[in-house]
Amino acid sequence: MLKKITQLLRPRCFAFIVLIFALALGLGCDNRYYDDRLQMEVQQLDSDLMNRWATSGVVVLDTAPNGPAHKAQLEGGELISYVIVEYPVKSAGDFNSAIKKALDEDNNLILYLKDKDPIRIALRRKGDKLGLSVEGSGTVRVKQIQPGALASNSDIQVGDIVEKIVDEQNINSLADYKKILGKLSKHKFIFRTSELIGVKIAAVTALGDLGDDRSIEPLVDLFKNSTEFSLRKAAISSLQRLVELSVLNDLFQEFQRANVNQLPADSLQASQLESASILGLLTVDRTENTATLKAPFGTQFRHRSETLYRRINEGQIAELAQQYIQIEVEPEQEIRRACLAILGILKPISAIDALIAVLENSTEIPGIRFQAGLALSQVGEPAVDALIAAFESGDTSTKDIAASALGGIGGTKARNRLISALETANEPAIRLTLVDAIAKIGDGPSIRALERQRELYQQEADSGLRIFLDEVFRNLATESM
Amino acid sequence: MKRLWLVPVLVLFIIGCGTQNENLAKGKELIKSDKRRKEERAVREFKLALQRPIDNAEAHYLLGFYNSQEFYEPNTTDWEEASITERGKHMFLAYKEESRKYLERLIFETLRDDDLDIQNAALDALKRVYKQGDRKRLISQLQKAIKSGDNRDRHSAHWVFGHLGKDDPAAIVPILVKLLDHRRTETRLNAVKALGEVGSEEAIPALSAIIESGSARWKRDREEPEVRQLAVEALGKIGGAAVPELVKIVENKGSSLRVDAIRALATLGDEKVVEPLLDALKEQSSRDVLIPLN
Repeated sequence: MLKKITQLLRPRCFAFIVLIFALALGLGCDNRYYDDRLQMEVQQLDSDLMNRWATSGVVVLDTAPNGPAHKAQLEGGELISYVIVEYPVKSAGDFNSAIKKALDEDNNLILYLKDKDPIRIALRRKGDKLGLSVEGSGTVRVKQIQPGALASNSDIQVGDIVEKIVDEQNINSLADYKKILGKLSKHKFIFRTSELIGVKIAAVTALGDLGDDRSIEPLVDLFKNSTEFSLRKAAISSLQRLVELSVLNDLFQEFQRANVNQLPADSLQASQLESASILGLLTVDRTENTATLKAPFGTQFRHRSETLYRRINEGQIAELAQQYIQIEVEPEQEIRRACLAILGILKPISAIDALIAVLENSTEIPGIRFQAGLALSQVGEPAVDALIAAFESGDTSTKDIAASALGGIGGTKARNRLISALETANEPAIRLTLVDAIAKIGDGPSIRALERQRELYQQEADSGLRIFLDEVFRNLATESM
Repeated sequence: MKRLWLVPVLVLFIIGCGTQNENLAKGKELIKSDKRRKEERAVREFKLALQRPIDNAEAHYLLGFYNSQEFYEPNTTDWEEASITERGKHMFLAYKEESRKYLERLIFETLRDDDLDIQNAALDALKRVYKQGDRKRLISQLQKAIKSGDNRDRHSAHWVFGHLGKDDPAAIVPILVKLLDHRRTETRLNAVKALGEVGSEEAIPALSAIIESGSARWKRDREEPEVRQLAVEALGKIGGAAVPELVKIVENKGSSLRVDAIRALATLGDEKVVEPLLDALKEQSSRDVLIPLN
């Protein structure tokens, strides 16, 4: 009886052990791999990394000194995303075998023809015909293109010289890496690496938040030289943040001089207090009359503030921003906007001409032209003459933006010019802007000028200007209440 | 004839009714009703109920639960008596009279309430239990909650642990560290979060071990990505001696947690991290590398 049971169990038991073993192997599937041929260790990118950054590939962990990978100058930390293999075509035989190899895995290849752009070919299904035949040796030419086949839809013509076939294969996992590299025999090939942009973006953003002057140079460098938009965008945003921090230097110096983290709120400049609390650097308690630097950042930053302020105001940042507000220099509008914001904070007089140029540029998008006007109104008084000139010579939009900016600046000169413009202007749209700008200034002469306008338009019940004037006066009345 | 046993039961029931605290009953009735300002009126009843000698535990609890400063003019006595700490005190008094019942109720019911004030009052009461009550039982109930299958219990427990740990890290940190080995991922997750909230440097080695498990050889030794991510966040909250640990993660190029570590460091404002971050910027960008094979 007992024997019977053991006999029955034995094969099952064996199968069970095998199963456990296989499971353990499968579960414990290593995420690292040492490539003997290239003498480097690679690691599967974590699945959470793939999900978060939509990047794929294997990460190089380390290369053995003087091994092939090391000689090729692959570095630890690089992410291999593609393997690219080139097949030179010197004969019809080369051509056919290259096509076969390249289409083997992913149905994709790139055909290089002499004097033509590379042609990407993607078969819809495995086994579809390319419909291309070639002849010759040494120089291989297209002999025939089968009508209706894939090759007939592209830019290939009979007689074209075929130079090479390139196969790009995406690496998604360590398994891909092993499989693709296992098939490569004696060809040289190329690893295409991807940048782990997420890490750099995070680092760039953090450097902006840290407010340390050592970051300025590298951020400028990255902004100027990176080809990656998201990274450049992050770099300019961080520079903007550094600029925002630097203009609070007066405030932080108060704390630094007293060597304390708390001061009476009414002893500090209100506008700076407000921006500092918006940036989350301190908290203001009006009932207790205290302004307290937030730990850990605010309390540490007061020690760095002075150096940052000096470095930001050496002029390099203003110059950079001035250059990159031009649409001819910078095609990305988000970056032009960030640069305009920087100029609005730094208010450099040297940037007035460049800002006027953006304001007047009819190929620029209206929102950005308007932002240039805003930056000019932040520059203030010194920009008045240039704005008046722009108003006088410009097209309708230029007039519109310049008038708003002048209204934002105010002052006698700007006000008088706006009033005389209102009294002579004909275009209704401009008149509306002028009324708005004059109302913004809102001093005695401005109000009187607006009242004159209201009397002029008293009769026109459906005039947009009159309705607008009524509203302006209603607002003025509620403000003075 | 057979139903004669009903008579003593009925008698007992009537006596029972008679001895119940009338104000308490009235207050509870009000809460159930849909009358206007029912809570405010019920609170008045609960206060009266406390002047009677019976059922004080429940009256204390309900007063702590329903009282609110919104009912009163600011700076009056009533208003002051409706503060979170006063409400917590009432909940604690309920616990003092009927420990088992109200301990469970506070942890598994009150903390779940949507009202933040009620949660805070319960937290206050539990802090009092930790100081003046049966500490051992409190901890064991909190452990039960953080191990529970219900997310709300785990969340409540992590929150209370976090606060208790701020006052007494030496006792709470080891308890939380032990929970890091629990089989339920969500329990470990909440323990990690609580360690972050405690903010004690004593938790750094345990959190580092979790983070490093990501590169363990065997999958079973690797902690789940979301737990590792939270461990990095917790190190960020701890700050101080955790900075070098975070820098180590930033420098580990194969780590999936570099971004999290960088974000944590950014909030700490420590200038020691500027250099490692600048190094990260110097890493190679996308390129083609020619590999010559022999």
